[in-house]
Amino acid sequence: MTRPLIQIDNEVREMTEEEHAQYLEATKDISPLTPETE
Amino acid sequence: MATKTFSDGVALPASDINTYLTNSGMTLIKSQTVGTGVTSVVVTNAFSTDYENYLVTYNGITNTGGEVLRIQLGATVTGYYGNLIYANFASGAVSSVGDNNTANWTHCSGGVNNFTNMQATIMRPFAAAATSISAPYQDGANAGHKSGWLNNSTSYTGFTLIVGGGFTITGGTLVVYGYRRPT
Repeated sequence: MTRPLIQIDNEVREMTEEEHAQYLEATKDISPLTPETE
Repeated sequence: MATKTFSDGVALPASDINTYLTNSGMTLIKSQTVGTGVTSVVVTNAFSTDYENYLVTYNGITNTGGEVLRIQLGATVTGYYGNLIYANFASGAVSSVGDNNTANWTHCSGGVNNFTNMQATIMRPFAAAATSISAPYQDGANAGHKSGWLNNSTSYTGFTLIVGGGFTITGGTLVVYGYRRPT
């Protein structure tokens, strides 16, 4: 399964498993407002 | 730093040039273009002893989606507090979304299809003291403001922009500026 992309300064690469786990943890707290279309 | 008035035809020492380039009202520290389809952007070496307070801007995003950006300082993933307070354009109804000991500051920008403008002021991230954030919020139906703090004694040199909700970001330019110290 492809993991999300992370950019560190100017380098873009796939997240490591550890980074992916951290990302999922970091984004679980609060869902953003429902995106509104113009 | 005291201000100085320069005169025509007078030698301009390199030290003066360096001093005033570093200490102009607001100084560009670094900028970077965001790649394609990323969910996190790590910005290193942004904060230092040279400046106390910073402005982070990000705009020019080119993909679709509702990108409401979060900010994490360094490796700290706990202890963020804050509130987004916003009102609906049509009804004027006021609502809020709180960060109560979260893993980052949420809602640090608005987010609409093809539109994400971040204008976040980060106060004292490099100091070994509490850091605060202030950022306006806009989407297609609401506008408001985010304010928050991170109460610890960690000194930070960088931050991460994080996109939640299954979205990604593509393109645009992220810029970090430092505010001149009033010395």
